[in-house]
Amino acid sequence: MAARIGTCLCFGLGLVWLALAGTASAHGPVRQKLTEKIEINAPPAKVWEVIGSFQDMSWHPGIAKTTGEGGNTPDVAKRQLTLASGGTIDESLYKYDAAEMSYSYRIDKVDVKVLPVTNYSSTIVVLPADGGKSTVEWKGAFYRGYPNNDPPPDLNEEAAIKAVTTVYKAGLEALKKKVEAK
Amino acid sequence: MRLSVVSAALLLAAVPAAADEAFITEQAGGAVSVLDLSTRKVVARMPVDGKPAGIGMAQDGRFAYVTSPEGKFVSVIDTAARRVVRRIDMPDAPLGIAVDPNGAFLYVAGFYEPRLYKVDLARGEIVATLEIGASPSGVALSPDGATIVTADRDDNQISIIDAATFTRRSVVKVGRHPFGVTIDGAGRRVYTANVESDDVSIVDLRSALSREEAPGVGSLVATVPVGQRPYAVALAQNKGFVTDQYGGTVSVFDLETLAPLKRIDVGEYPEGIETSADETLVYVASWFSNEVFAIDTLSLKVAARIPVGDGPRSFGTFLRRTR
Repeated sequence: MAARIGTCLCFGLGLVWLALAGTASAHGPVRQKLTEKIEINAPPAKVWEVIGSFQDMSWHPGIAKTTGEGGNTPDVAKRQLTLASGGTIDESLYKYDAAEMSYSYRIDKVDVKVLPVTNYSSTIVVLPADGGKSTVEWKGAFYRGYPNNDPPPDLNEEAAIKAVTTVYKAGLEALKKKVEAK
Repeated sequence: MRLSVVSAALLLAAVPAAADEAFITEQAGGAVSVLDLSTRKVVARMPVDGKPAGIGMAQDGRFAYVTSPEGKFVSVIDTAARRVVRRIDMPDAPLGIAVDPNGAFLYVAGFYEPRLYKVDLARGEIVATLEIGASPSGVALSPDGATIVTADRDDNQISIIDAATFTRRSVVKVGRHPFGVTIDGAGRRVYTANVESDDVSIVDLRSALSREEAPGVGSLVATVPVGQRPYAVALAQNKGFVTDQYGGTVSVFDLETLAPLKRIDVGEYPEGIETSADETLVYVASWFSNEVFAIDTLSLKVAARIPVGDGPRSFGTFLRRTR
């Protein structure tokens, strides 16, 4: 586990094995939110070129494969992410705005062993920054992995925040490198 | 005696007429802030820990009651003094809360057990407990205080409870995962915002109560489609206003024809929503954007957006009349 953390900044990081399957609909009472940002030395259009397709998440180092259907059509498009560390995440798109360079999606199905969250939704947006640069914001809203009272430490709010933060940071850093290398 | 009355009157005259206020539970920030609704600014903020979420305002506006689901307690706020004067411990994570019109009792939903608790405010403790459906979320009271309705989220139903005897009279199936529940001013209809079916269920309260032999059948009068992941419903000017969490909108529909009228952009993850006393405005707490929106109920436009602290929810009744 420790070796994997060291070599792969990806989904599934830092999770202890737990034989608990949360259902997608039940959740705790306190929703969490977080926003990660990164500045990229490239115009917004160049960044959107890389992340603008809901059907292609290859820019994230934690994702080995993206399969899906429905393109970028809200309430139609679905994708399944296969993680480099194993496991899958099923997601669907619920907002897409190419002019604003923003899309929003939710997780329909994930094992809490893969990502310790329930009722997860997210928005990623490219914003213009000074000097022709871009800022990418990745925002998440979610509940902890354990849907009932008194969660174990690995499925509590702190664990959920840590896992999502790690995913966002790894993705944004890789995105910056990829776009700036172009 | 007479002198003191006169000086008190003079003191009162020196203070400008107070504007109505909104008490905003800031769950991530661990606070409750007070919004002056005429200047549209935060004028006070008090720390409340345990992740405050739900709120019930006493009808006379003297006290507000705030649930902290993580801390498992209810905070009693002296609204004029702007401070927490008491904490009532709960046996479970409290979320939805309603205050009876006389200010004698609180009705608090425990999210996990799942129970509805009746709290005697004079004694500051739970005096009755009633088992209801799974994951009870919203709690509403009829205007006369005689009937309590809970949204039993994970059972896709509402429970209709007689307040005096504290017994359940009826159960009505609604859409998937009802969260917020609102009763109209006539005590006639119940509205639930159904998170998973993206709609609002309308239940006729009187027919639900009169059916003794077939509970749960026949009193669902309509289902209205709204935006994505609806959270709660407010009623004003013969219109329904629904916060759509994922949609980032307030869906508006006509209460008579049930026709959709508009979707108004209100920031990210709008949650708590309530109508002003004069029905000219609806106030919305947008959880992710840390703003409160005021919507004009006639023009259906955003009249104001007011920055507040982190994670505003105000799930329940949060507006305080000061006049």
